[in-house]
Amino acid sequence: MSTLALLILLIGLGIVAWVSARLRLSRLAGEERTHSLPLYHGWYVALWTAVPPILFLILWVNITPALVSYAVIDTPVAARILPSEPLERSALLAEARALAKGQIEAPFNADARLLAPAYAETQSRYDLGATALALILAFAGFAYAFTRVRPDFRARTRVERIVMAALLGASLVAILTTVGIVASLLFESFRFFSMVNPLDFLFGTRWSPQATVLPGEDPGFGAVPLFWGTIFIGAIIAMLVAIPLGLMSAVYLTQYARPAVRRWMKPILEILAGVPTVVYGYFAALTVAPVIRDAAAAIGIANASSESALAAGLVMGIMIIPFVSSMADDSIAAVPGSMRDGSLAMGATSSETIRRVLIPAALPGVVGGVLLAVSRAIGETMIVVMAAGLAANLTANPFASVTTVTTQIVQLLTGDQEFDSAKTLAAFALGLVLFVVTLLLNIVALRVVKRYREAYE
Amino acid sequence: MTGMVAQMPDRDRKVAERVPTDWKTGAMQTRIRRRYAAERRFRFMGLAAVVLSAAFLAFLLVTMLAQGLRGFTETRLALPIDFAAAGLEVTPAQLEQRGADAALASAGLERVVDNAAVAAFGPDGMDLISDTAWIRVGERLKADPGLLGGQAVIAVPASAGVDLAAKSGDTPLDARVAELRAQNRLTTGFAWGFLTGADSTDPTRVGIWGALKGSILTMVVTLLLAFPIGVLSAVYLEEYAPRNRWTDLIEVSINNLAAVPSIIFGLLGLAVFLATFQMPRSAALVGGLTLALMTMPVIVIAGRNAVKAVPPSIRDAALGIGASRVQVVFHHVIPLALPGILTGTIIGMARALGETAPLLMIGMRAFIAGPPGGFTSPATALPVQVFLWSDEVSRGFVEKTSAAIIVLLVFLLAMNGLAIYLRNKFEQRW
Repeated sequence: MSTLALLILLIGLGIVAWVSARLRLSRLAGEERTHSLPLYHGWYVALWTAVPPILFLILWVNITPALVSYAVIDTPVAARILPSEPLERSALLAEARALAKGQIEAPFNADARLLAPAYAETQSRYDLGATALALILAFAGFAYAFTRVRPDFRARTRVERIVMAALLGASLVAILTTVGIVASLLFESFRFFSMVNPLDFLFGTRWSPQATVLPGEDPGFGAVPLFWGTIFIGAIIAMLVAIPLGLMSAVYLTQYARPAVRRWMKPILEILAGVPTVVYGYFAALTVAPVIRDAAAAIGIANASSESALAAGLVMGIMIIPFVSSMADDSIAAVPGSMRDGSLAMGATSSETIRRVLIPAALPGVVGGVLLAVSRAIGETMIVVMAAGLAANLTANPFASVTTVTTQIVQLLTGDQEFDSAKTLAAFALGLVLFVVTLLLNIVALRVVKRYREAYE
Repeated sequence: MTGMVAQMPDRDRKVAERVPTDWKTGAMQTRIRRRYAAERRFRFMGLAAVVLSAAFLAFLLVTMLAQGLRGFTETRLALPIDFAAAGLEVTPAQLEQRGADAALASAGLERVVDNAAVAAFGPDGMDLISDTAWIRVGERLKADPGLLGGQAVIAVPASAGVDLAAKSGDTPLDARVAELRAQNRLTTGFAWGFLTGADSTDPTRVGIWGALKGSILTMVVTLLLAFPIGVLSAVYLEEYAPRNRWTDLIEVSINNLAAVPSIIFGLLGLAVFLATFQMPRSAALVGGLTLALMTMPVIVIAGRNAVKAVPPSIRDAALGIGASRVQVVFHHVIPLALPGILTGTIIGMARALGETAPLLMIGMRAFIAGPPGGFTSPATALPVQVFLWSDEVSRGFVEKTSAAIIVLLVFLLAMNGLAIYLRNKFEQRW
């Protein structure tokens, strides 16, 4: 039986259990008052019936592919035809599995046809076992819970305990995700650093992982050009666009604009943050980059690239405007009105008040906002993948092509992947650096903002 | 008076003895004028920043619209076909049954159409009509089997070259297209194929449905996972969590996850779902799982704010009449917080819909020529499709890419509009 059908059957059994528990309760209790409402008795029995087998099924679905593979490898057919080389072996097994499931018609390797029946047979045996076990679990759970339904049974407390466990479990997903990210990045990076010296990676200046290297030669995993490209595009060019535009927009909308203008313009500017990055990337590559290349050629810059750092940085800056603007907006609004009124009462003009009082007072908040925006910009992928180049240049020329950490991650992980090569693992090492840097930026930014908020409260 | 001044501290005496400023002097007037000019300049700079930012947005949208709207149209050629003379071995009855397509294909309709093109437009006729022209003719025949015995002029899709020459020019076929246009043989119509087809190597044959279906499947998985988990953990953290180290750890994790670059989630998906759990590559299931992990913190943060906004008096009242703590939350707090939670969910889903980088990491960038069959079959998603088409060399893909972007933006706009509507309609101020 397919997993989905089994799942539906279990849910159906749960409903049956729910109804039967209520019937039993009303028969036992009659007119007598029960401790818990019939609803809770129903849920108690239904949960006992459906949840254990469903948990079992989830576990089962995750472990059977491996078990089935082992069983197939042990068959005489497999012993005869399976190649000993691990990569070919797993490819053949995958093909046989796909063939057995009817996902593919004709295998690339004809031997897969020989293995497919063994696969289908083992799989169906395991499926049968799973169905039987799930049903046994369901009936056992039902029997246990059903016999406990009595008028004085505290079903509500039991159900609520399960609900609380579910709530706690849901919140643990966040920790699991964080652990998963850190563990997978660290693990793969560790494998990478066992092949490449971490110091060469962090401080080397030659990046060319795609090239084939002879033994003893520099493998080209020096990531400094990538770090520089990321900083150049994300933290310099993008911020040169985003900080003035974002800050001045926030100042104008909070201090000068009429409420009607503010009500309309603020959401309109926020659309800029909602446009998918792939759209910005396309816009940067197709519309902005040629204009910049032509402009550079017109002012006499010979080696202007059509994948310039400037095009990617400019468009990224536009994307970041709303982040800077809303953070600046919040921090200006948090400055106590008395400071502003005091300055105005002394005869300062609005702009003098803003420049000499409000912005200095709001500066920590603005700086925090800019740090968050930088962390956002350096983690941004699609704009740089589409508009910045692949050449790892260590240059400060905005018309030249530079590459970034995220671009290289995408570049390293597409195409033919062998999970064990230094090339693939380098992507995880870059990911680790990116993760750590954005995390630090966020922690520092939040601390700055928090301390500043406390100063005025 | 002087005596009092003498008793004052030094600093105050200076203030008292200072001559009042004469605002009427020329120097002061110039100074004031300069300050006011600075004020006006500053104000203008602020306005310029707002206008410039909005102008970027307008320019972006107008560029996409200008390029993309053409992607929804196709150029058609009026092709006269003499079915009677061609001798198609198909009976009108066959056309009304199932399997009509196979019958037409085996009867050699494609050859008949190619011959008709050569007869109508000269030796290059076959290059002018699209490879799929005969399918369009077949549809027309199925709709009107009576045509088999006679002649008809059928508008068939033009080839990619003709389409490009007719729409933007600057191609080798320009002269030929001008000639056809002079003969009134070119028409333009809505490209239904774009809304129903999938990826292809020929820009006139590509469609958006394959990618859209992939996106929908991915979003279903994301929603089914991220929404319950997000809401439950928001409720837990806001209503039940004891103040201890574990709770702090959960909160820190959630806040950090919300700031982690999306590509890192892609690496997680690759290392955990694909490499460790051996899930299928390029599948909507894996894409949905990865995006769910990314969307969940957004929903948790929005959900916590919504739950926090429900006034304590509601909880007190419910507790007062004997509700348990679980009943308080599930019967009263969650229903009241639901509009806020839904708004946050929709915004998170909109972000997930536009996300590309994590999907590239788990291999949803393969060329897939048909809509995905299910959650585990290879699929692509709308933003990834935009990325893939933007990489194509053929010029015809430019308008198709922009058209796909328009479809994507329409979806995002609809989702955000729904979020704003929900917020305005159901938002309660206590």
